[in-house]
Amino acid sequence: MKILKKLAITASAIAMMSVGAQAAGEIKVGSAGGVTGPIAELVAAIVKGRQVAVDHVNSSGGLLGGDTMKLVIADSACDPKAAVDAGNKLVNVEQVVAIIGPSCSGATNGMVSSVTIPAGVTVLSDSATAPSISELKDNDTVFRASASDAYQGKAIADLVWKAGIKKVAVTYSNDDYNAGIANVFTTEYKALGGEITGNQAHEPNKASYRSELSTLNQGGPEALALFAYYGSSGITIIKNSLENGLFGKFYAADGMFDNSVIGQIGADNLKGNLWITQAASDTEDASYKAFAEAYKAAGGDPEAPYAAHGYDVAFLMALAIEKAGSADRSKISAALRAVAGPEGEVVRPGEWEKAKKLIAEGKDVNYEGAAGINDFDKNGDVTGLFSVNIVGDDGTWSRSMLK
Amino acid sequence: MDAFYGYMLYGISLATMGGIYAVLTLGLNVQWGFTGLFNAGIAGFFGIGAYTTAILTTAPTHRHLGGYEMPYVVGFLAAMLLCGIIAYLVGKVCLRLRSDYLAIATIGIAEIFRLILKNETWATNGPRGVSEIPKPFEHWPEPWNQFAFLALVLVIVAIVYVLVEVARKSPWGRVMTAIRENEPSAKAAGKNVEVFRMEGFVIGCMIMALAGALMAHYLKFVDPNATDPLLATFLVWVMLIVGGSANNKGAILGAFLMWVVWSATEIVTSRLPDELAIRAAYIRIFLIGLMLQIFLQKFPQGILPEKRPTVPKSNRNSETV
Repeated sequence: MKILKKLAITASAIAMMSVGAQAAGEIKVGSAGGVTGPIAELVAAIVKGRQVAVDHVNSSGGLLGGDTMKLVIADSACDPKAAVDAGNKLVNVEQVVAIIGPSCSGATNGMVSSVTIPAGVTVLSDSATAPSISELKDNDTVFRASASDAYQGKAIADLVWKAGIKKVAVTYSNDDYNAGIANVFTTEYKALGGEITGNQAHEPNKASYRSELSTLNQGGPEALALFAYYGSSGITIIKNSLENGLFGKFYAADGMFDNSVIGQIGADNLKGNLWITQAASDTEDASYKAFAEAYKAAGGDPEAPYAAHGYDVAFLMALAIEKAGSADRSKISAALRAVAGPEGEVVRPGEWEKAKKLIAEGKDVNYEGAAGINDFDKNGDVTGLFSVNIVGDDGTWSRSMLK
Repeated sequence: MDAFYGYMLYGISLATMGGIYAVLTLGLNVQWGFTGLFNAGIAGFFGIGAYTTAILTTAPTHRHLGGYEMPYVVGFLAAMLLCGIIAYLVGKVCLRLRSDYLAIATIGIAEIFRLILKNETWATNGPRGVSEIPKPFEHWPEPWNQFAFLALVLVIVAIVYVLVEVARKSPWGRVMTAIRENEPSAKAAGKNVEVFRMEGFVIGCMIMALAGALMAHYLKFVDPNATDPLLATFLVWVMLIVGGSANNKGAILGAFLMWVVWSATEIVTSRLPDELAIRAAYIRIFLIGLMLQIFLQKFPQGILPEKRPTVPKSNRNSETV
């Protein structure tokens, strides 16, 4: 019974905290993300990005008449079941104005179809990339700040083809993200005239991929197009390939971008042999620099995948609420389109006071995000920017933008 | 929106998910509670049910097999039928195994199903899943469509409950208990144990497929995550153990209770600061495991322990003779 008593005291303490948190002048925005589940490590950086944006808003005037913006975290676990449950809580219990996230495409698909579209709540995802999201009948309430896979797959295909490589083998980690890019890549690469000598899915987290790789090595491929997450299979595949002399050149998408790739395989082995495309972030761009500085100051690594997108969605949502003039769900969708551009004066990450002033004067605002230009097309999608990363002479990543 | 209305809508969603889990838990109860079959591959059968109805009822699309736009009833029945056939084939191979070995075999079977659903892209759209699954009553105005779907789920829970309760009290149910308690003596009494075990397994799997089909329509989306064991196998086991194995009321109670614990804890944790809220998400998973431990240690029979049906008088006389 003692334990029960203690539990009761703890529960009531938490309940009191929550009452305290609901102070007057607070506008709640749902922040759904896969904080547990398969991409938890990526999501931590994304959630941090969102919070940095909210801190910018709150520290320079807040929303509307000085209200604070509050993110309410909900775990979508990269799983539609969990995402629908999370969405229900955000929409009905927390009564949020709008939702940013969730992270995974499947979770987004479930949450918007089952909860937010019927409820008329606007959703702006930072990392859902499945093409099927474009086609949902969503009454213009579903947006995303990351490019659909269709664009990155095409960017890699162009890159490989322009390098003069005519035959490649393809392997992808069998999850929605990597399979989607691989699928677009093969279609686009064939359309350019290239030959796919082998195309094989692999299961992540295996100890060795030698048998898959020796199968893929048949037919004379000049390079391996590798679509995987670095931690769960990518590093192992490159190691196995190099150790056994199966593949020497690798083209990969942004799931492979991490310093541990160089750390574990060695810069000398990768120099001139590995190309990784990445959604986003022209590091020379003023918007990105503003974001990177703030994100570093908050103790994060601004190059973490989708961290910049996380910042952008939270900042865009704040702009949309400001533009809508009230925390009214039904006005967010139109306001979001209005602040994202392309017309109007350019606003960059961190420039909240300027944006607030412009909106107050009734002028148009065009937010140019850290992760690229956020001009939504009719499906609520952005085209996105891509960069290519190679291992430079100093043994660290060297990045250039793809045109 | 007014707060009360919001809580009511959330309550509906809690009850709907709880109801779907209740169907799933009743299916497991037929297998484990009645017959003593340790099925650790619930997620696989659940996934088959979800995909079958998803493929049959969606509108035409280039992404996956399907586009038949069949009525919901056909989807539900086909899900159960297909799952029954697959369960029969699986049972042929696995059911001779003793309980712990059966558990290992069914984990493997569920994993095979998951890989098939993930890799047969032409039929299932692979890891991208099947989207835009129609949902019954979705064209009704809010909130009535949600009420109507909840009513549908509750009616199905009630029907399944009545059927398995009748089965439990019948001679068939008593044979099941006999097999669970002491297989050799059931055999000695002239019962064909293998046939009975197969019946229990197939019926349980068909009920699980029905739950999968309901879930697919409720979420309007299904992907291979549907076969993720955390939410579709282990949580169901915890529900049954907590509620009371072999007691159908207990199975339903456990399902609703554990789903509320699982879902509603986040309302509290989301109020914590960001860093803590992210960590607290893992505590929810821990909490489920903790409850399982507490119940296994302190109340191994669950909240509602098993009640053996009383044997009708006429039978009792003949048995004592």
